[in-house]
Amino acid sequence: MKKLSSGLLSLVVLFSLSVAATSVYAQEVGASTVEFPYTGNRTAVWIVAQLHILFAAFILGAPIFVVISEWLGYRKQDPRYDRLAKEVTKVTVILFSMTAVTGGLFIFVLLAAYPQFTTSFINQFYVVFAILYPALFITETILMYAYLYTWDVWKGEKKGRHIVLGVLLNLVCLLILFVINGPTSFMNTPPKAEGVSPQDFIAAATLWDKIANQSWFPLSLHRIDGNVAFGGFITGLIAAYMYMGSKTQEERAYYDWMGFAAIWIAVGGSLLQPFTGLLLAYEMCDYDFSFCPYMMADQLSMFFETQGIMIGLLFLGINYYSWLSVKRIEGADNVRMTILAPIVLIVLLPATMWVMDKFWIPDPMSLAFLLPLVLSPFLFGRFIPKTVSARTVIKIGFIIMLISDAVWLTPAGFVATGTDMPDEMKLPEGWDYLSSMPAKLSAILTLVYVTVVNYVLYNRTIKQGTILWGKIDFAAQFVLIFLAFTSTWIMGLMGAVRSLLKKYFHVYSLVSDLSAESFTPTLSYSVWWITAITVVFIGIVSVAALVALRPSVARVREPEGSPVPIAAK
Amino acid sequence: MGNIFKKLGIGLVVGGALVVVGHSQELPVSFQVLFFIVALIGAIVFMLLDAKPIGTMSGGKSVFAVTAFWILLITVCIAGASLLPQFDPEDEKAKIGKLLDKERKQSAQGKAEELIARAKALDAQVKALEERLKGIGGGQAATATATPPAGDKPSAAAGGGSASGDVMKVGEEQWQLQECYNCHKLRGEGGKKRGPELDNIGSLLTVEEIQQKIEDPKSFMAEGYEKEWQKGIMPNKFKDLMDPKEMQALAAWLGTFKNASVNTPKPIKKN
Ligand code: HEC
Ligand code: HEM
Repeated sequence: MKKLSSGLLSLVVLFSLSVAATSVYAQEVGASTVEFPYTGNRTAVWIVAQLHILFAAFILGAPIFVVISEWLGYRKQDPRYDRLAKEVTKVTVILFSMTAVTGGLFIFVLLAAYPQFTTSFINQFYVVFAILYPALFITETILMYAYLYTWDVWKGEKKGRHIVLGVLLNLVCLLILFVINGPTSFMNTPPKAEGVSPQDFIAAATLWDKIANQSWFPLSLHRIDGNVAFGGFITGLIAAYMYMGSKTQEERAYYDWMGFAAIWIAVGGSLLQPFTGLLLAYEMCDYDFSFCPYMMADQLSMFFETQGIMIGLLFLGINYYSWLSVKRIEGADNVRMTILAPIVLIVLLPATMWVMDKFWIPDPMSLAFLLPLVLSPFLFGRFIPKTVSARTVIKIGFIIMLISDAVWLTPAGFVATGTDMPDEMKLPEGWDYLSSMPAKLSAILTLVYVTVVNYVLYNRTIKQGTILWGKIDFAAQFVLIFLAFTSTWIMGLMGAVRSLLKKYFHVYSLVSDLSAESFTPTLSYSVWWITAITVVFIGIVSVAALVALRPSVARVREPEGSPVPIAAK
Repeated sequence: MGNIFKKLGIGLVVGGALVVVGHSQELPVSFQVLFFIVALIGAIVFMLLDAKPIGTMSGGKSVFAVTAFWILLITVCIAGASLLPQFDPEDEKAKIGKLLDKERKQSAQGKAEELIARAKALDAQVKALEERLKGIGGGQAATATATPPAGDKPSAAAGGGSASGDVMKVGEEQWQLQECYNCHKLRGEGGKKRGPELDNIGSLLTVEEIQQKIEDPKSFMAEGYEKEWQKGIMPNKFKDLMDPKEMQALAAWLGTFKNASVNTPKPIKKN
């Protein structure tokens, strides 16, 4: 209980601090007189905002699968799930306080760097910032501590009650996400109407109008599945550290399993990401088409090139992890798959590119071609006697992934902005299809499909063979670290992209950013900060994991702990 | 070791083949480099797939290995992104400076009178120019003489004294600042097929009509852009980003483009 009260106290102090700061700054309306040393004002805001969203993403994403895991443990009577859930919750609670700290810091830095805008923005969303958000946040604090501290009390008969509490916690988390994404998305796509000036429209708009702006829902969707994936990857990182630090084979077996479970969840979320991400981009471009060239062709085009590289590597990493996992399954060599699978893998990319060229997205014809194609191995596979070994299918999958990556990474030209691209830098005619949206989409679809096929195979192998828990190639732990790094880094990159999309405005086309820093920074500069933020974040997570999980290592070694059989399935 | 050399060899061969094909197809060098790098990444991926498992490391050794791995990741990320072409913020700063100039001054206050005075002067210039344009127009809008040759400064073709020259400058500047060129080709520059080429717009619309189109993009719709998603491409925001004088100047400047050899689609009046 001591932790709970000190947590609450620090929250209240932070909140009153920020309110006090609001009123102080509100009096001296005008340009900021504060200049953050070394970083400058914009980058100072950037750093705390990004750190804050990283912690927030974890504490919103983790509870989703914690409850699922707790429920699975209850249903299957497998203590590993319950242990996973509890350990992640312990880390979540520590990171929760980091969320509060960075959140308070965020408001503080914002007020110092952009006093005029911040005060007016808070006024714009007064009910959200003064009532809804604090109330939800305090509710979440109480629920989260209650959830952790009732863990060992509400078990056995009362487990159901504990799970309900977890579900409640998740509902509040989701509500927070939707509420705070209102002001965030508002800055990108403030609601507007034809025939009315934006200023007049906003003055007359209700709070709901402002929250339910065009990019609000897609942003929230993309963040929900992003957060689940992110929570999974970070849990994988924790599992890797704990595996490396394990002293006994039992511990190793458990943390090997934890990494496996975490990546399962992360992959589930990641496979949805391209679709919700495209929906988000689509709504943004629909709101103002000039976002589209700014992102994909002009100032931010190389940011997207970088996103392509990193997501390509992320998918390679995910599949490499499942390859290593399959390798330590006894009997994996006997698993075979219909020959239709590698055939579809090979034709999918060119076929999709052709279909997307003929029938662009909203056209149902594209689905009429592609759905039967991608489903055929699963529907008709059993009727075809010829089969291929799992290893061969996975290796073909890797080649296809590399080709898809190459397509995804082919821009119209390697230039910083496409507005004045010299002809000699452009893809020559006949090849320019490779740089078009349909080609990119085909490439992402293929990456997703290869991953799905690999996971189907992986699942089949698990069913037919015996997993030697704790015997995974040690290299897999480095893959887990790599995945956590990459996904955090991508979040940093895309967060920067979303924020930069506002161009020289605080609120797009409504409130200009009159400071001297409203230009698009270079990719190199951005990447330095994104990397630094990632390192700080992962550093803090690592410390939190060590602090939270060390004692449990000791406890589990006592006889009452639940030893995991090495070859358990 | 055999594994590494074999995969490296295959990677180099595949990469080399891609470079040769790319070269023969006249792909720019940067693309050849891209494909070569992907081939090498492929080689690394396959080395890893077939690599012998690493044994469990001791605590101290794994801390060292993880640290080294981190340093490698950080270096690759920063170096990789820094090697890509970088957009020069100076290009944008000057533009943003001009766009925000007014607001900055306003927020600094005290400059309001000066602004009004300048606006009035500009207004007078526009009026004068409109008179002159009407004079030139006279039914033979699309004649060769009124057509500014591609690449030429249209203000020169439109002629006129320093007053209209100023308006023309403001107009052209707005074209640059509002980034119309992102969607429209003009004088053979910009475009990318998002919107129509505008070199003949002066023969199809009057200056007032062009201004109407900028103010409310739904007022006229170019022929051939009837698909639902195309109708919303031209942003409906310029009236909020430019003041009326600037919009007039931009319209007046565009009105001088009467190059009949360019196939600017016909605008159709909507409302
Ligand atoms: C995001 C892309 C985009 C931007 C930016 C844009 N336009 Fe357009 N514009 C279009 C498209 C697409 C059309 C054709 C459909 C239509 O008429 O709306 C068009 C049509 C026009 C037309 C009518 C052409 C005809 O032949 O009927 C004019 C005039 C025009 N734009 C002027 C401008 C000016 C001036 C600017 C800058 C202030 C500008 N546009 C910025 C996309 C854009
Ligand atoms: C496998 C593919 C993808 C992955 C793994 C991924 C991952 C992520 C993650 C983790 C975030 C941060 C979410 C948050 O801050 O809560 C994010 C944000 C974003 N993504 Fe994606 N994404 C993918 C595909 C896409 C695509 C295809 C697009 C569009 C072209 C896109 C556009 C964006 C944008 C604009 C943001 C900014 C939202 C923000 O402010 O955080 N994403 N993405």
